[in-house]
Amino acid sequence: MAQAQPPIVVVEDIHKFFTRGSERIDVLNGLSLEVPEGEFLALMGPSGSGKTTLLNLIAGLDRPSQGRIWVRGQEISSMSEGQLAGWRTRNIGFVFQFYHLIPVLTAYRNVELPLLLLPLSRAQRRRQVLNALDIVGLSDRIHHRPGQLSGGQQQRVGIARAIVTDPAIIVADEPTGDLDAKSAEEILDLLCELRSSLGKTIIMVTHDPRAAQRADRVLHLDKGRLTSEVPSAVS
Amino acid sequence: MKLFGLIADNILRNPVRSLLTILGTMVLVFVVTLVWSILDFLNAATATRTSNFKAIVTERWRLPSQMPYSYAATLKEGAAREPGHIRPRDAMCWSFYGGSLDREKRTRENSLFAFALEPPKLLTMMDELDSLPPDQHREFAEVVRRLEQNRQGIILGRQRLEAIQKRVGDRIKIYSLNYRGIDLEFEIVGLFPPGRYDNSAAMNIDYLTAALDAYQRENGQPHPLADKSLNLVWLRMQDTAEFDRIAQQILTAPYYSNPAVKIETASSGIATFLEAYRDLLWGMRYLLAPAILVTMALVISNAISISVRERQVEFAVLKVLGYRPFHILSLVLGEAILVGSLSGLVSAALTFSVVNYVVGGIKFPIAFFGAFFIPSQALLWGTIVGAATALAGSFLPAWSACRVKVTDVFARVG
Repeated sequence: MAQAQPPIVVVEDIHKFFTRGSERIDVLNGLSLEVPEGEFLALMGPSGSGKTTLLNLIAGLDRPSQGRIWVRGQEISSMSEGQLAGWRTRNIGFVFQFYHLIPVLTAYRNVELPLLLLPLSRAQRRRQVLNALDIVGLSDRIHHRPGQLSGGQQQRVGIARAIVTDPAIIVADEPTGDLDAKSAEEILDLLCELRSSLGKTIIMVTHDPRAAQRADRVLHLDKGRLTSEVPSAVS
Repeated sequence: MKLFGLIADNILRNPVRSLLTILGTMVLVFVVTLVWSILDFLNAATATRTSNFKAIVTERWRLPSQMPYSYAATLKEGAAREPGHIRPRDAMCWSFYGGSLDREKRTRENSLFAFALEPPKLLTMMDELDSLPPDQHREFAEVVRRLEQNRQGIILGRQRLEAIQKRVGDRIKIYSLNYRGIDLEFEIVGLFPPGRYDNSAAMNIDYLTAALDAYQRENGQPHPLADKSLNLVWLRMQDTAEFDRIAQQILTAPYYSNPAVKIETASSGIATFLEAYRDLLWGMRYLLAPAILVTMALVISNAISISVRERQVEFAVLKVLGYRPFHILSLVLGEAILVGSLSGLVSAALTFSVVNYVVGGIKFPIAFFGAFFIPSQALLWGTIVGAATALAGSFLPAWSACRVKVTDVFARVG
């Protein structure tokens, strides 16, 4: 069903290379991709295949060496760093493998971080933060610091932080990579819930085939190219 | 303002490191405050005034100035001798009488140095004593009255009294160092108000004059300093025009040929006197103070650098969330400035309170000034010095923090 939606992400013939000294390292080689709105997409591949680089480009954290990327109709590959920063706040929620919460801040204040950049009153921020924490099931942990939470709970706070600005796209870089199996399942359930209930588009990098099975579609990358496209059995 | 909470939280991230940085900054602001208080006071003392100021008449060619006391009467009149000549608003003559309370053992504690003058001038011509609050003025006027009535009286500063372990009403004998052979007995008739004159003493000039006369009677010849007993004459002027006219009257008067005299504004006279300390003051102003400021900046820079290095991933995360480089720059600089300005303010406030109200001033005897006090502006200096050095010290670390490249940081983390 998701395939019927118009693409929210269009990647057109992108190349990305880095230089180390005089050596040029090609990470992505002419990769093209479309992600329909509301799809849960998993990117898989061996280390160094370019999946995180692709995720970073879609999330506007980096710019391609060549090629173009459109997200929600906007060409982000030509945006300046400053424009990308503002664009990310409103359009992208990022979930990290190692949560990357700020240890001195409570769950509430961690989730509030992206909202500080938006023209919102304290009451509006509070409403959105509490709503996000409620969605991830952590309403009773708002005053806890990351050190007082389990890995699964920290990742839930990370997801709350990713959705608090109500972005259309959530990008997740191995969101279950640092979790035990039970917590990983709960996080994947939550991501599926975000897609089905809130209509979020989710792009997830993972090494874990069980995690990938929860996606609508699985793309395999190798040496900077898409090698196969597999509809998920479960979805 | 939204970021202020983040700044405050980050300062509390590593309380020990923050505390050490704060203490380091406080110590350095303390030293800067002391040094600047002295320099500020000396600057004020040597600043040229244009109204209601004092002039000093001294011997022209010799230091210390030693003029015949016979000069006193005409100098106090501004050498006015012709119709149309003007007189100063007020005048005061100083003779210096110094000695030890113990003939054999001379120590700093038992030494005493007194201005010999006409007692009423203590209330009208002495800096700060001429502008006492009403209560203190009334009290000190009574002390001056006692000195006027009792030729053998002496007024002491509080710390001097404490140092010689005497009380008001006690009698003391001074074995003179400069007026050799003229050892005088005194009765302590009162104290100077607390502050600038804590280590000073004042005696009645009539007592010294009478002692010089007695010396001549007893020894058949005048004392070697009999003709050199007038050290300084202070004249109060309304404005610079008045000063110019009186200076002209004195310099053209026929009375002061041997020795010749000179007249200068008090600020200029003090500046001349401070010439002897020129190298010391230059070192304080241009070496010590800047060295402390640079050290402060480095202390803060070191602490902020460590903090920035530890928080690279956090800065990258903030960038992912949409924070721009200037947000991160503001966060890091804000932390440093908050630490620096608070440390500076607290340090200056403590220095102000402790030095002025507990210790009784900085004991740094120079020129006529026995002790220096911390001015209230030090609270502003302390805050600004703390904030400015923190800003200077944290700029490079803050710049490196805001230039963090997200993909590089996460490539290392992954």
